[in-house]
Amino acid sequence: MIKVSDKTVTWQAGMTITDLLKEIDDDHPYAVVRINDRYIARPDFDRTAIPNNSEVFLIPMIAGG
Amino acid sequence: MPDYELKLVKSMEYKRPEIDKGYVDQTLYVNLSDQELAVKPVDPKTKDVFIGGKGYDLWLLWNAVEPTTRWDDPQNAVCIASGPLGGTPIYPGSGKSIVTTLSPLTGSVIDSNVGGYFGPYLKFSGFDALEIQGQAAEDTVIFIDGIEQQVQILSAVGLPKNAYDLSNRLTEHFAAGKPRSISVVSAGPGAENTLIGCLNFTWYDVKRKRARYKQAGRGGIGTVFARKGIKALVVRWDTVTADTNNPSDKAVLKDVAKRYSREIVELDPKQNEMSRIGTTHLVTIMNDHDLLPTHNFRYGSHPQAPNLGQQVYRLLFDPGFDGCWMGCTVACSHGVKDFVPLTGPFKGRKVFVDGPEYETIAGCGSNLGIFDPNTVVEINFYCDAYGLDTISVGTALAFAMECFELGLINESHTGGIDLSFGNRLSALKIVHQMAAAEGFGRIVGQGVRKMKEIFAGEFGADPIIMADIGMEAKGLEFSEYMTKESLAQQGGYGLALKGPQHDEAWLIFLDMVHNFMPTFEQKAEALHWFPMFRTWFSLCGLCKLPWNDIVPEDNKDTAEPAKVMKHVNWYADYFSAVTGRSSTPDDLIKMSEAVYNFQRIFNLKMGFGRREHDALPYRAVGPVTELEYESRAERYDTQLQEKFAVDISGKTSAEKLALLRQFRQDQYEKLKDAVYRRRGWTADGIPTVEKVKSLGIDFPQVIELLRANGVQS
Repeated sequence: MIKVSDKTVTWQAGMTITDLLKEIDDDHPYAVVRINDRYIARPDFDRTAIPNNSEVFLIPMIAGG
Repeated sequence: MPDYELKLVKSMEYKRPEIDKGYVDQTLYVNLSDQELAVKPVDPKTKDVFIGGKGYDLWLLWNAVEPTTRWDDPQNAVCIASGPLGGTPIYPGSGKSIVTTLSPLTGSVIDSNVGGYFGPYLKFSGFDALEIQGQAAEDTVIFIDGIEQQVQILSAVGLPKNAYDLSNRLTEHFAAGKPRSISVVSAGPGAENTLIGCLNFTWYDVKRKRARYKQAGRGGIGTVFARKGIKALVVRWDTVTADTNNPSDKAVLKDVAKRYSREIVELDPKQNEMSRIGTTHLVTIMNDHDLLPTHNFRYGSHPQAPNLGQQVYRLLFDPGFDGCWMGCTVACSHGVKDFVPLTGPFKGRKVFVDGPEYETIAGCGSNLGIFDPNTVVEINFYCDAYGLDTISVGTALAFAMECFELGLINESHTGGIDLSFGNRLSALKIVHQMAAAEGFGRIVGQGVRKMKEIFAGEFGADPIIMADIGMEAKGLEFSEYMTKESLAQQGGYGLALKGPQHDEAWLIFLDMVHNFMPTFEQKAEALHWFPMFRTWFSLCGLCKLPWNDIVPEDNKDTAEPAKVMKHVNWYADYFSAVTGRSSTPDDLIKMSEAVYNFQRIFNLKMGFGRREHDALPYRAVGPVTELEYESRAERYDTQLQEKFAVDISGKTSAEKLALLRQFRQDQYEKLKDAVYRRRGWTADGIPTVEKVKSLGIDFPQVIELLRANGVQS
């Protein structure tokens, strides 16, 4: 299972961040998400697999500075 | 017996007014040349137009200096103020001080927003702002005792030179057993011997039982402070509660403050974890988006950048509450405990290092090609202790390193120091030299603009390439974000009043990643609203981090997520509840707009503030060298073809580089046109008479200045 925004999603082998966002039907253009304590930037969403039993945090906006 | 002596030179008793809705309506004036101390009233018009904080500072400074005043003239003033909301312990991020002066780097107004207890304690002691003019004949400490209602000018002998020991020594000296009642402002030997000095503002860490500090870093404020002969400012105040600021409507204040604090406590752990890792999360995020400056802003990413990322600093930071103001739930001022420097006067001694934050990591790490986190911590420690701005140190040193690698300077100029990128010991050596006014460090400490003159004039280096790669604008070193791929952020830096610092506008993600503002008009709108709203924090004594670094979970579904309007509305409620001046979000923007335009006109008074002064070095706009072009060739080739309709077949990298440069520079000029129009300025970047009238800043001197500069209507 993957925990994301207080919901749980069934984990599938090889599931990427892009797959997860599709699964939860969230099309917001996130720049960054966090898997446990690891930050993943948008360019890597397609190639970053989410380990089973992870907690994923959708970072709403990086406003910087 | 202490190994130092503080001797009373002059004192003044005063009556502390009751605080009324966030204000005391008087300021403290100190002239160090003749030891004058005076209390000055704040008139209603000043309060109405300038609000407080940076607004008050600017008005005091405007009246203190002439167009011919230089940074090192006794006439120049250092002004420090919090603001009407400053000192509220229940609302996150409400303990800021804002410092202004004429900068040794830019020749015009500089401002810096800093944490620590000084500004709020100053206000609670009876002064909305402090203005210091003159120059002391000997090392001086100014002590403002809000409890005893007395101001003292003291001569100082034998105090430590470095801010690290000095801060703790003076805290202990004046605390009378209550160290939390003290805040110290000091610079250090680096500030004295360079043009890039910072100020350290302390807050007392009860758990770790030591004074800690935050920095008013930009523009050489610490250098002006040191030149005035000021060793330190010390303020003493008693207990702070939600009542101390005497808000107009305490119930509303408590309600909005509670909602804000709770939201941060709930959401920060799910978002950027600033209460655990500060701003270090930005390192890898910027790197992954090609936005982390490496090797003097040549490139935006490096494979070793994760060595400087949050996963490393998470382990290095000493866990605990790290709020630079009481009750702030963002609490992002982390530090490293028991750090043992490998070089310099503290070599082998355990110290507590305040930081590093993102800017220091990028400036003194990746931008120097240094990817060792402990070296960054050591540079951070010494910059603070010496009173040096880590951003200017990083950007200036990066420029010197690139000049060294390009052969524009060599070891005969650097005193035998190998300044290749990545050379950690050389970087540290230069920092120590800056503090000691020795060797090549003395030149680097003059900042990028002066280095370009020296390298060209004395070393025969090519001024044309240095103009492209020397990352300064208006004389100020760039802070640490890549802007090549974000036209809006080029404007965020180039059009910023004081020079390229990101506190006015940070639009890179909105522009580059999200493409929320594809047109010039949309960019111009953002370059109006964001600088205005961000300015407002410095009028009120606030930190901007709680506004948009922790955001409501439903923010992404709002009409304008970048503005985080739920929070903006809360700020309007907060301002209304404290001051009793009922305000909407639009009112906050109007408050800022008056002060913002006034600061632009202040630049004009000092001989700047025109279109030509909003210029950028080309490296902020695009690739300077063929190597840079070729490293991202696909990106640049695509842009030439799709955006500028260029047939690139058969063209060399040099030809494509030249074409790209022409297009991008043209775009930046068009952006200036759009922003000036949106802000109500002339095509030369000067506010119109009509504009200043509408903002209530049509003071006779302002109108006279505009007319003298050819602005008639």
